[in-house]
Amino acid sequence: MVVKHDKKSMTGNDAASYAVLYAKPKVISAYPITPQTTIIEKLSQYVDEGKLDAEFIIVESEHSALAGCMGAAWSGVRTFTATSSQGLLYMAENVFWSGYGRLPIVMPVVNRCLAPGWSIYQDLQDSMAFRDAGWIQIYTKNNQEVFDTVLQAFRISEDKSIALPSMPCLDGFVISHTTAQVDLPNAEDSFNFVGEYSDPVIEVDTEKPWIFGGLVGPEKFIKVRTDLMEAMERAKKKIVDMNKEFGEYFGRTYGNGLIEIYGDDVADLTIVSMGTIADEAQDAVDKLKEEGLSVNEMRVRTFRPFPEKDIVEFAKKNHKLLVIDRSVSFGHAGQLRIEIEAVLQRNKVDTSVEGRLMGLGGEDVPYPKIVAAAKEALRSKI
Amino acid sequence: MKVTQKDLLNIPKKALLKGHFACAGCGSTLAFRHAIGAIADKVILVVPASCASVYQGGGKGAAFNVPTINTAFAASDAVASGVRRAMKTKGKDDLKIVIWGGDGSGADIGIATEIGACDRQEEILHIIYSNNVYGNTGGQRSGDTMIGAKTATTPYGNTTPRKMVPFIMMANNARYVATASSGYLEDLVYKVKKAVSMTGFKLIQIDAPCPPNWRSDSADTVKIAQLAVKTGVWPLFEWDRETNLVEISRPSKKYEDITNRVPLTEWTKLQGRLKSITEDQLKSLLADTERQWNFIRKFM
Repeated sequence: MVVKHDKKSMTGNDAASYAVLYAKPKVISAYPITPQTTIIEKLSQYVDEGKLDAEFIIVESEHSALAGCMGAAWSGVRTFTATSSQGLLYMAENVFWSGYGRLPIVMPVVNRCLAPGWSIYQDLQDSMAFRDAGWIQIYTKNNQEVFDTVLQAFRISEDKSIALPSMPCLDGFVISHTTAQVDLPNAEDSFNFVGEYSDPVIEVDTEKPWIFGGLVGPEKFIKVRTDLMEAMERAKKKIVDMNKEFGEYFGRTYGNGLIEIYGDDVADLTIVSMGTIADEAQDAVDKLKEEGLSVNEMRVRTFRPFPEKDIVEFAKKNHKLLVIDRSVSFGHAGQLRIEIEAVLQRNKVDTSVEGRLMGLGGEDVPYPKIVAAAKEALRSKI
Repeated sequence: MKVTQKDLLNIPKKALLKGHFACAGCGSTLAFRHAIGAIADKVILVVPASCASVYQGGGKGAAFNVPTINTAFAASDAVASGVRRAMKTKGKDDLKIVIWGGDGSGADIGIATEIGACDRQEEILHIIYSNNVYGNTGGQRSGDTMIGAKTATTPYGNTTPRKMVPFIMMANNARYVATASSGYLEDLVYKVKKAVSMTGFKLIQIDAPCPPNWRSDSADTVKIAQLAVKTGVWPLFEWDRETNLVEISRPSKKYEDITNRVPLTEWTKLQGRLKSITEDQLKSLLADTERQWNFIRKFM
């Protein structure tokens, strides 16, 4: 049975705030940064108005924002923060600490480029720099998916078999500050889906003098890291299951949760991308189809854990991939492209791959640009 | 609330078990055993990167007998804030959230976080055990290093005055600020017990001799700590926000009067780091000591 929804107009950041309001975290610890700020502003308002019964810690830096959440997570309560860009970099040490420490924190990253050049507009350079931090990363395509993903993130992170922090990613301004329709379930149904965080994955307790984050010798260290790798592997299934369960309850799914296919199952060219560019690419696919060209699209929704199997299976059937990247590994290539090429190579798939960098530092990427890039890729012989 | 020697012999809880990794004669573990032992039944400890993150031991042999959260160097006060707020939502207001860290975090890298927690009036007790150096990394100069002290990064003696964290916290509206010493454990335990009974942010800074980095005899730890008080170089005092008054603590009282003080060289000669202190450096150290006393006197 699908629950009732109200149609509302709201920004992507407001959609995130609604999801948090409904998930009822106990501790929010936050610091302002554009374009994330309106998420935590809204939440502070909810707390002050008594709509959300939570402790709101107004900290003095992003480093402390995440540290506050870490303290709350170690104490076994649901906790939330959000950040962007330089703020994410400033909290870097704690991003890794909470990933490797297996703390179930939910922290949307409102994607914004890194300085210099000084700019507040979107690309994925910030969150992509943290792919190795032990966080689940889900890249959303629109306001609706932001709400849905933030709700799901609490469930995924707080599952005892997973115990990993989650980073729902949303493009700055294009999602965060743009008003669009969101089908909003009510507070009760939303909370019923998320549930109480009553069986914490970790909890400091005066009756048990446990030590958290203490010394680990080399002989045990590999075990700690292997556990994390295995949890990431389990997270793939969890995300797929969550997507399905979410669909049954709310009537919406996003591909299989890991990747989302648009258009025909087999085509001459497959556009591969993440975030809002992937949403725009759907229009490009339609346009190209009208012109009689055979193009489909694969959106990588979950970047960590990386959906190797799903990507490989789809790529195998298709002839050529055009990977559009919104972030670069300098000295190498677009970051998504690098990973796609790696899994194809590892699985001996000979589908060719071409890469394009688009939308860096807020460059607008309307569908005609993607159409042009796709046509070029169809013409080239690789 | 007076703490006697008899009280010291009956520590309520063994907070520090056998097999810790501290160096022989460590002033910090001596203070830990008594300070944390006196309040241990309801304590959650937050430990930033420090000697304490090592001497707590690891695995099944962990020597800290209190729940302990280890944090990144600059994160302890914010993590402690998160713990405190989370416990509040669970109705566990009676827990004592205590940070136990060195001067590297407390005076340098973590000071913004520390002032942040103080500014928010978080109900936390931050205890800095000051060994005056980055001890764990091999003894480099910290913001809390004494003038004249040789460290790994000041091979000819440190030239700048100490960063006075207690004064910084007084200026930032802490609830309670005190200095203490590994050489006067009754006074230390009294202050720790008093601090945890108060709401708001509290800071206690302990003089904790460090034989390897001070190049002193490990048997002299208590003697050196006591001489720091008797020479006046480490004044023991308490400051309470309610009264905005400083009270000189009993072991220090006599030495407020400069004529009663033991010559500073009695203290320096026991420490390799200060043995070859120059005349000029000694003068600067004496001047800096007086600067501290003059600051304190303004609140008396």
